[in-house]
Amino acid sequence: MDKIVIAATSQVAEADLKLARLGSRFGRLDLMSQLALLAVEKLGVNFDSLPRERIAICLAARAGSLATDAEFWKGRDAAGGPSPTLFAYTLPSAAIGEIAIRHRLTGPNLCFVGDSRDVLAEAADLLRRGEADACVCVYCEVVSSAAAGMIQSTPTSNVSALFLQRDGAGQILPEEFDSDMESFCAKFRA
Amino acid sequence: MEISTTDIKEKIIASLNIQDITAGQIADDAPLFGAGGLGLDSIDALELVVMLEKNFGIVIKDMEEGRPAFQSVATLAAFVNAKRSV
Repeated sequence: MDKIVIAATSQVAEADLKLARLGSRFGRLDLMSQLALLAVEKLGVNFDSLPRERIAICLAARAGSLATDAEFWKGRDAAGGPSPTLFAYTLPSAAIGEIAIRHRLTGPNLCFVGDSRDVLAEAADLLRRGEADACVCVYCEVVSSAAAGMIQSTPTSNVSALFLQRDGAGQILPEEFDSDMESFCAKFRA
Repeated sequence: MEISTTDIKEKIIASLNIQDITAGQIADDAPLFGAGGLGLDSIDALELVVMLEKNFGIVIKDMEEGRPAFQSVATLAAFVNAKRSV
């Protein structure tokens, strides 16, 4: 069986966005996409080292796009209606699109509303099946105050990212694991 | 009071959340869409329609009507001023 390694990890929170400089159009993205892009940037991976079509993206969002959905809904009474730009982000998979566009990644992608373990398990399977040589894994915990009230949660805005590779250099991903991505990030942080 | 091109630029920057670009860096006659200008896209166009209604009370129901206005900051300012004088 192929060895899957964790080649890089990163974690970002909303406060990290203050210093983020990812182009003039970064501000148009919703919070989850901004954090996901920043987390991938902080992985420090040189995507030129592999064919772009062999790099997959797996993303899970604990609360889906609920924070952006709530913000969009809030704008319905404003003059001119809610923001059309925001509407484009009322799907959690929009963040995958932003990552793919920025890094020109054209491999397979998967989006979950759920746990970060889903991401790791699916990404590892994807690599073992040979559908990709590497995978950008992103777990988004973005729950605004408005969204938190709807799902009996506490507000949070953290995103973790991992870069998994087949037979690359890095920490070996156990074949069986019960840790979530945050634990892996904490454990393997450079 | 006439709306200046600087007013329009500031409204565009604010409504589209454009970062690291100031009003002074946008030429009055630079194209808003496509290469060689601000590089805006179709979603930005919809956002500009919302911006016009929010800030100036101008409603564009037919995008064909708005198309000539959205050529540049100068044409957009002229369009706003013409609508406000009616």
